[in-house]
Amino acid sequence: MTAARYTPNSVAIVGLGTRIVTRDDPKITSLQLQLYAIRDAIAAAGIDRHQIGGVFTCRSPMGFTVPQWNMRIVQELKIVPNLTTEVTAHGAGVLSQLSYAAMAVNAGVIDYAICSSGCTGPLWTDMVRVNASIESDLQFEAPYGPTTPSLYAQWGQRYMYEFGVKPEDLAIIAVEARRWACEHPKAAMRRKGQITVADVLASKMLASPIRMLDSSAWFPGGFGTAVVITRAENARPEQKPIFIAGFGGGATHEWLTERLSLSGVEPAMTPNLTTTGAKIAAQHAYAMAGLGPQDMDMVETSVPFTFANMMMIEDLGFAKKGEGRDFVRAGGISFDDGLPFNTNGGYLSFGQAPHGMHMAVEAIEQLRGEAQGKQVKGARHALCHFHGGPLATHAVMILSGGQA
Amino acid sequence: MQIDWSQGFPVMAGPFQMGHAEQSPETVGYWEGIRAGELRIKRCAGCGKLHHPRRILCMECGSEAFDWVTCEGAGTVYTFSTVYRAPVREFDHDIPYTVGVIELREGVFVFSRILPPEGGEVSIGARVSLTFRECGSHGMLPAFQIIG
Repeated sequence: MTAARYTPNSVAIVGLGTRIVTRDDPKITSLQLQLYAIRDAIAAAGIDRHQIGGVFTCRSPMGFTVPQWNMRIVQELKIVPNLTTEVTAHGAGVLSQLSYAAMAVNAGVIDYAICSSGCTGPLWTDMVRVNASIESDLQFEAPYGPTTPSLYAQWGQRYMYEFGVKPEDLAIIAVEARRWACEHPKAAMRRKGQITVADVLASKMLASPIRMLDSSAWFPGGFGTAVVITRAENARPEQKPIFIAGFGGGATHEWLTERLSLSGVEPAMTPNLTTTGAKIAAQHAYAMAGLGPQDMDMVETSVPFTFANMMMIEDLGFAKKGEGRDFVRAGGISFDDGLPFNTNGGYLSFGQAPHGMHMAVEAIEQLRGEAQGKQVKGARHALCHFHGGPLATHAVMILSGGQA
Repeated sequence: MQIDWSQGFPVMAGPFQMGHAEQSPETVGYWEGIRAGELRIKRCAGCGKLHHPRRILCMECGSEAFDWVTCEGAGTVYTFSTVYRAPVREFDHDIPYTVGVIELREGVFVFSRILPPEGGEVSIGARVSLTFRECGSHGMLPAFQIIG
């Protein structure tokens, strides 16, 4: 592989806008949600909107499905971007739009890019039922009646079988996530309070081996985010810039069954459901940044089940394959003194906001020293991992701030 | 129930139609096989490699020509999950049911329903044999019975 021609930290996030809507607020659409966030991000960056040469978006939100979502955004902004596109790699695209923006500004094709995400789907549709049908092959899987948890569970069942992982090992991850969530004012599950391993093991079975408390909670509404990206030389201190050290991706399939016919290439030298494209994504990002797992002060990942979090601990480089269990058991992600892992409570307890960039927002706020929950002291590097499809697409971005 | 696959059928998610599950030109042989009570997979006419019925190109040799091969119907459970909350109402009466991946003896992986043995459970590595099962409004589809 050719080394990427990207100088670490040569691109900065110079504006952040977020907009949260919950079931208690007047209903708004995903288009409103994203536009409010975009307006605030541009204002935070202190730039004129006509300086924006690139408009990148996530895919069309659930509950507001239109072709060419990015053009709905562009026409509202009343600008004429040089580059614009949706970045559609399921949930991974939400983060990798920043990678495309970084490449474009780094190449000098544009000076500023806006990236936007967010979806108010949970306010308008039955997400549980809708999601099941976009996660499976309509011809070869959906007719059998799989749910979203049952598609992920195919990986979880196999992973637990191959590495002797027990439900009580996985439950630790849910317990630690809830501890972080209880510190964060916006976390969906904060009101439910702390949980124990016994609580997780006693919770309702959704799709074996996944129980309710092994599973992400839907964020009760929408989480809109927009960021302004430019070359580091344009960044000003008052923008509280956060720098992009490196990024990478790894997409392996669209449907679960197809993952098993990927062969002869990492992460599938032999057919397996235990290593994901996150391993490849992380390798690219670490190489680009000139950093390794040991340099990361926190990890923010978007996987929605306990077993998948354990797999990510391995694929992102914090434990060898099959040793995530021992890492977790030994307090490796302990809220008290372990690796800060999903520091807002993650998908399990902050909540899964569809198309949400909330895990990257958490990293940005932590690196700025402005965490809304528990602040990770002296944090300089954060690893963000976004994923989508049934462990299908992966994006990793390493953000630097603080003393970097 | 007979399904006219040339018409497809809507896949619903609550009140929302997410798309049509219908045969497409490259999968006609698979659905014809089901009507004949067989499970068919593809064999590359170029290099002989066996593939999932949805394959369009053989990435081993680049061929776009395939023959349909009838599976023996034997395999093992590669992985599975038992569903306790159905995605759509038409599956509610099946709850709980097991979906999973079967590794066919031919070396191809397929997604299916897995039927536990009388009074027993589904487990990884268990041997299975092909059967057919009514699945919601989708008619008779290939499924796999655990045989011990």
